[in-house]
Amino acid sequence: MEQTEIIEPFQETMEEMYVNMGPQHPSTHGVLRLMLKLDGEVVTEITPYIGYLHRCHEKIGENRIYTQVIPYTDRLDYLASMYNNFGYVLTVERLMGLQVPERAEYMRVILAEMQRIASHLIWMGTFGLDLGNFTIFMYCFREREKILDLFESVSGQRLNYSFYRIGGMPLDLPDSFLTDCKAFLEWFKPRLPEYDAVMTDNIIFQKRVQGIGKLDQKAAIDYAISGPMLRGSGIKWDLRRNDPYSIYDRFEFEVPVGSTGDVWDRYMVRRLEMAESVKIVEQALRDLPPGEIMGKVPKKLKPPAGDIYSRVESPRGELGFYVASDGSEKPYRYKVRSPAFVNLSVLPVIGAGHLVADMVAILGSIDIVLGEVDR
Amino acid sequence: MGRITPDEIIQAIMSQFGEAVKASEIKGVEARMDVDRGKSYEILLALKGMGFDYLNCVSSVDRIASGDLEAVYNLSSLNESAKAMVRVRVPREDPVIRSVVPIWSAANWHEREAFDLMGIRFDGHPDLRRILTSEDWVGHPLRKDYQDERLVPYEPA
Amino acid sequence: MEKTLERFYAAFAALGIPWIVPQLILMLVVASLVILFISVSVMFMIWWERKISAHIQVRYGPMRVGGWHGWAQSLADGIKLLIKEDVIPAGADKLVFALAPMVVFAAALAAYVIIPFGPNLIVRDLNIGVLFYISISSLTVVGIIMAGWSSNNKYSVLGALRSAAQAVSYEVPLVVSILGVIMTVGSLSMIQIVEAQQRIWFVIPQFAGFLIYLTAALAECNRLPFDIPEAESELVAGFHVEYSGMRFAIFFLAEYANMFTVAAIATTLFLGGWHGPLLPPWLWFLIKTYFIIFVMMWLRWTLARLRVDQLMNLGWKVLLPLAFLNMGITGVVLVLRG
Repeated sequence: MEQTEIIEPFQETMEEMYVNMGPQHPSTHGVLRLMLKLDGEVVTEITPYIGYLHRCHEKIGENRIYTQVIPYTDRLDYLASMYNNFGYVLTVERLMGLQVPERAEYMRVILAEMQRIASHLIWMGTFGLDLGNFTIFMYCFREREKILDLFESVSGQRLNYSFYRIGGMPLDLPDSFLTDCKAFLEWFKPRLPEYDAVMTDNIIFQKRVQGIGKLDQKAAIDYAISGPMLRGSGIKWDLRRNDPYSIYDRFEFEVPVGSTGDVWDRYMVRRLEMAESVKIVEQALRDLPPGEIMGKVPKKLKPPAGDIYSRVESPRGELGFYVASDGSEKPYRYKVRSPAFVNLSVLPVIGAGHLVADMVAILGSIDIVLGEVDR
Repeated sequence: MGRITPDEIIQAIMSQFGEAVKASEIKGVEARMDVDRGKSYEILLALKGMGFDYLNCVSSVDRIASGDLEAVYNLSSLNESAKAMVRVRVPREDPVIRSVVPIWSAANWHEREAFDLMGIRFDGHPDLRRILTSEDWVGHPLRKDYQDERLVPYEPA
Repeated sequence: MEKTLERFYAAFAALGIPWIVPQLILMLVVASLVILFISVSVMFMIWWERKISAHIQVRYGPMRVGGWHGWAQSLADGIKLLIKEDVIPAGADKLVFALAPMVVFAAALAAYVIIPFGPNLIVRDLNIGVLFYISISSLTVVGIIMAGWSSNNKYSVLGALRSAAQAVSYEVPLVVSILGVIMTVGSLSMIQIVEAQQRIWFVIPQFAGFLIYLTAALAECNRLPFDIPEAESELVAGFHVEYSGMRFAIFFLAEYANMFTVAAIATTLFLGGWHGPLLPPWLWFLIKTYFIIFVMMWLRWTLARLRVDQLMNLGWKVLLPLAFLNMGITGVVLVLRG
């Protein structure tokens, strides 16, 4: 097997300076490493280096039976574990042609949308940190903590839930969940204007994020950007709406879009999406039917030989799973198309030419989770 | 939405490239094609011309039984409901495919990943470096015959 | 006061000891008192800031150390910093690296000479008091640049350069904003400025000046929203990224000491210094000073950080013209009133 390329030594001139940002840096949101070429304070070139958290997720998947992969998917995007479970079990169900009971579908949507709120909350908090506003961070974590309490009451876990099963859900919702969840939503709705007071309406915040990191529609499609980033560029594209899976076609919700594709638009899309997720959860709680939670699933899961690519709209964008089966108990090949991985690849394009401070804001607005980028 | 059907896609590609399409199949709204590697770039370019402007994913599979490596392109469109899946097989001894980065920039990191983990080389890629493993890594971990002295084989109890 | 001093000197003279000895003893005593005051006040401010930030952020802050609301937390932190290992990076310029915190602290310390805590509670009532403060406070930048340069770290250099740019930009509006007060009083002496405010605090006629001073002062102390020299999300910690333990503690001490100075000068120039009913003068002075510090902390925990070019624009294009306008109007009014 061949040895690959040689590391090029970086040559510095008197005018330009290379700064190594990361893998340990407060605003790389994990172990991302960026090689910045600086001209004074202006970033002229960004070279991302990833893989510091690579743990052969896909190779592990090939060596486990289909159900055993679920706990590993938790660790992909560890801020939205429910959604990873969702995407994976949906893929295998599609591959096998399994039907999921009504009640389980509703449970899935409720938990997934709550997870979206929790994930966007973390994003908002850490984005505030990137811009030097610490207070919003604590506010967002206060709310997220309540969501985690709800998840704990459902699954017993607070971060890595492993709560979806191929063909349904393992446990029914606890009796207290409906009232608790409704109470949380009632409590959460008035919190959104609070964030506006600290962030959205603050003139310093607006001046910091408007007009930087612009991503036009053409580049967004070219780079296959997805999720809030794509919608921030003004493309009304939400897989829950445009390629509906599970029971998302039954709910009424808006798809917020931006106009210019700058950091501000991405911020606003996520901020408005939280309110839309609240709407979806409310409708799902209202319509939640009684009944079975686990469909008819064979004891040994042996999908027919063949392959499938299936995608869901995770809080970060299009989370796709490519699973190739050879008819055995284990996936022959299992690949994750993680939204953060693809969205991050556009950073050198939208980040170059900005000040260091703006670069940090732009990186924050992409909303990466390194567990998912590096797999 | 939904102006073009998977059937039409396969028809159009078959008529244009003929023998380069080795097999085709329709699954729901998805048109699936196995194509020859010599014409893969042209076929993918033609698919983009049909409206597949969004490259979802480039996966790589080690088909060790037949001694091939496989690259799988998943395409979709923001205007059409149809999807496309294109598979390209290359022999393990000479795993070279023409890069599609000129068609979709999104392919850049996907192809780097396929190169890094599976060892498929993409001809014409602007920056074909390892991406997830370190620069001095030897071998391609996702190949079925990958061996590493640190790798403990998994034995189910 | 004068008599006590004369007797003190006379006692030494009677023993045949040259005058330099009692002078030195006196200097040492005063310096120790000032350092003691700074340490206690800084420890209080750190604890207070943690409490304020905690309550703004719906949490409690320190609650354990010392019992009541964690009052001894800063003390414990201070001791921890003192006994930590002293690390000097291998590539650092050792002498400059070691000197930098001292320069910063010395500058912060020297400014306390002219703070009038009460009618007699001032180390030295210099006739150029305000000017002395302005010149001594710009020394801090020298220390920061020394720290940034000697650390041999790119983040430090960037932080130090930002700091220098910021200090130069904000020194000017700061000085111009207090010219209104000086023109009204006709003196640079702190005591005389306070005494001139017996009838009315200068914050009323000089409100614009007060706001400009406060904004520029925030930038002088590198506090949010102007903390770009140490912006932790961009430059990790800016100029003091390589400092740890005792040396870091000195930077920290100097930062808070500067905050106190800035607030104390604001109190003296605009809020009537020690004037106030019922309570003793020194208490009034401290209340006003800590109120301004509170405002600074409040701002810090509410606002986001400005960008480096926005900061420059604000300084040169907004604050400076406003400060000049304020000075001009004050001059016209003074001339008209004769």
